[in-house]
Amino acid sequence: MLSRRPVHCFRPWSRKFISSYLCRTPEPASPELAQLLATHAQHAPQPLTLGSLLSLGRPLTSESILASAQIVQTEMPRRLAMRIRSLEGLPFIVGTNPHIARILEGFRKNFLWSASYPPITNIEENSVFTSQLENLVRDHANDIPTIAKGFQECQRYMSAEAISSFLDAAIRNRIAVRLIAEQHVALTHALNNPDGLQDHLGVIDMNLSPVKMLKMCASFVAELCEASLGASPSLIIDGHTEARFAYVPVHLEYVVTELLKNAFRATVERHHSGSSTSLPPVQVTVSLPSAPPSMSGLAQITSPTRPRMLHIRIRDRGGGVAPVHIPHIFAYSFTTAGRNAVHALADEDELDGPYAAQHVGGGAAVGSDLFGEIAGKGVQTGMGTIAGLGFGLPMSRLYAQYFGGSLELFSLDGWGCDVLLKLRCLDHAEDAEI
Amino acid sequence: MHRPPRVARRHVYKLLYLSVCARNSYSTAHFYQNRQLELYASKQATLLSLRQLVFYGRAMSEERLIKSANYVRTELPIRIAHRLRDLQGLPYIVVMQEGVNRVYDLYWTAFEKFRRYPEVRTIEENDEFCQFVRGMLNEHSAVIPSLSLGLSLASPYLPPDQLDSFMRRMLVSRMSRRVLAEHHIALSDAFNGRDHNVDGEGHVGIIYTGLNVEKSVKKCASILRPPSNVQMPEVIIEGHLGTTFAYIREHLEYIVFELLKNSIQATVDAHAGKLSYPPILVTIMAGVNDIGMRISDQGGGLTNPHIRTPSDLFSFSHVRNATRMEDARLGSLRSVSERPAGMVATVNELVQRWQEEQRTRDNPEVEAGVGSHPRLGIGLPMCNIFSRYFGGSLELVSMDGWGTDAYLRLPKLGTNLEGIEF
Repeated sequence: MLSRRPVHCFRPWSRKFISSYLCRTPEPASPELAQLLATHAQHAPQPLTLGSLLSLGRPLTSESILASAQIVQTEMPRRLAMRIRSLEGLPFIVGTNPHIARILEGFRKNFLWSASYPPITNIEENSVFTSQLENLVRDHANDIPTIAKGFQECQRYMSAEAISSFLDAAIRNRIAVRLIAEQHVALTHALNNPDGLQDHLGVIDMNLSPVKMLKMCASFVAELCEASLGASPSLIIDGHTEARFAYVPVHLEYVVTELLKNAFRATVERHHSGSSTSLPPVQVTVSLPSAPPSMSGLAQITSPTRPRMLHIRIRDRGGGVAPVHIPHIFAYSFTTAGRNAVHALADEDELDGPYAAQHVGGGAAVGSDLFGEIAGKGVQTGMGTIAGLGFGLPMSRLYAQYFGGSLELFSLDGWGCDVLLKLRCLDHAEDAEI
Repeated sequence: MHRPPRVARRHVYKLLYLSVCARNSYSTAHFYQNRQLELYASKQATLLSLRQLVFYGRAMSEERLIKSANYVRTELPIRIAHRLRDLQGLPYIVVMQEGVNRVYDLYWTAFEKFRRYPEVRTIEENDEFCQFVRGMLNEHSAVIPSLSLGLSLASPYLPPDQLDSFMRRMLVSRMSRRVLAEHHIALSDAFNGRDHNVDGEGHVGIIYTGLNVEKSVKKCASILRPPSNVQMPEVIIEGHLGTTFAYIREHLEYIVFELLKNSIQATVDAHAGKLSYPPILVTIMAGVNDIGMRISDQGGGLTNPHIRTPSDLFSFSHVRNATRMEDARLGSLRSVSERPAGMVATVNELVQRWQEEQRTRDNPEVEAGVGSHPRLGIGLPMCNIFSRYFGGSLELVSMDGWGTDAYLRLPKLGTNLEGIEF
């Protein structure tokens, strides 16, 4: 075999060889970029707390907007550099995957932009900066599905644990970057338009009604469920129905939608048989423990061992999760929908195409219409949109945990599921790290 | 240097034992008596499954009953020896605590008695053996409160994980020994036509082969309903009613009773002064491998400031559960462990305590004056132990400010071996 190969192919200085060689690997970083990366990756990670981020909006002044811009200008490049470094740390063959390579390229571009942007010194500069930032956030709405697609193609090169811990870190990093960017964008808007959303402190709604959110998400999920499965259960909400708390609405919206989708689908699949339409309701209980006495000011952190949490319990009678599936419910790209669910892990096509993409695409994007996006495709693709997307539970859990909350699933085999979502009340979470 | 010959040395030791033994059981003499114990502790316990216990007991003959007696006779000292070795591995100061040393002595005595008990060969001998075993069971009735007291006192000297895993090993093993002993006694009684089971439910020994979960829940709920017309939260049962499985009824009912009792108390306390109480919802599930039960109340949740997570209520360490070191709790553990009846964790005992509590509740004078029933803090940890014995689980989940959900799971098929750790 060897003797038949033309000898010149092995001469590295041959132009022909170099060009074909370059085709096989992604572009290396430019020297300037490499230099910048090295500087930013060196910076000691300084913990940014929610408290310090929020204090910029209380009160909102042009000085605090500039301070906020400065946070974006230090934190964005640093966190993007972390992401780039971890992508660069992947096995070479994984890095050559076109999806992963595209993501890395995108990160490099953003990093370069954010690291080389001249310091913001006045409001006018800030509005230019902010509108560019807004575009950037929007352009990256589909990063996670792209990464997921990439890893799905790389399953034979990395262990499931390695992939899922990479994805966890990537998603957490993404939530943080978007939160920092969107907070700045929202504050800038608020300064320009002081009569806007009264209860908002940047992207945080200080007076968010979980029941209102639940109802809104439920009506969307019910529609989706009707369209794809032909029926939908009713929703009963009890508990502290008047409760209000401080949280990032898009985070709550994402998680609640995912959980309701699971509950609705399971209920319909278990109980809906042709003519009979008496579905057991999905029961949601909201509970907000009373605020601890004597808390005033920012410094006062309520009981550090037990931070104040809003509790939402979603209880369905959809038959629960079969015991064999329990270990995988929080794993990526696993699904309990469909007959051969247990084999889905091995089936490469399961995470394919628009399902995964649309499903995980709805992040915390300001102004991005998660519902419109999913609903549009939902009707087109039927069942696929509501079930078996494989990212819903792990992503929801990452969102819930982001500020120190939790998401737990209790399966009552043969009966139904209780999902307990605990979210920190962000007006008592100054210590939460971003 | 002159060394006495081996035989002479041994003689010196023997004299030493005798002189010191008389004064103090933890003497150096005790140290040299460990040989037999180590011999037994080196043997593996023979673990059983529920199914084995049932199958063996189903076709009883004289020969099989005697075989069962000798299994109990030889198995118990092995299991006790493992626990004694476990105790010996604890820090010295822990075993010197009040309660722990009492248990150590009890176990040591029991080990010696079982070890020396001659082989059982006839039905008459088996009757004697059953008498002997019954006596031992009674003698050990205060082990749980004693250990609980001792380990609470020793809590500063043991890291919480180590303390809890020790307690778990002790309590699970204790339960396993009592199951073996009581099962054998029940089989012997049945063989001799002295079946104490009057309600006609099918059972083999202490295992009920068609245990009706709903019936057990109803039974517990009705005991918990006070005789007077005092308002109580209603217990609603839903789910796969009519589910039956093979299990030790005493264990199931202990867990259900304790959980329901906690739910009722929490509901009553959280809604004091209101016209009616929100109900307690019990959902029974028949899963593929398990029987499940969820007990959902609206008693305000587990917001006790002494604990971080609900599972801390299962802990015996004061680091996890600060109430373990409270004087009132230590005091009541002390008085219970000194009572001859002790506390053996049975439904009857729970019922009696509940009834006493109700009496004091209804009588404000008694309540104000004595406060005679500070909680022992043993119920929930024991429920946890009971549920895990054959591989089940118990999880408490708090919706702070609203209520508590308890999720109980027990294996349905009875093929799991006992969950004893060494």
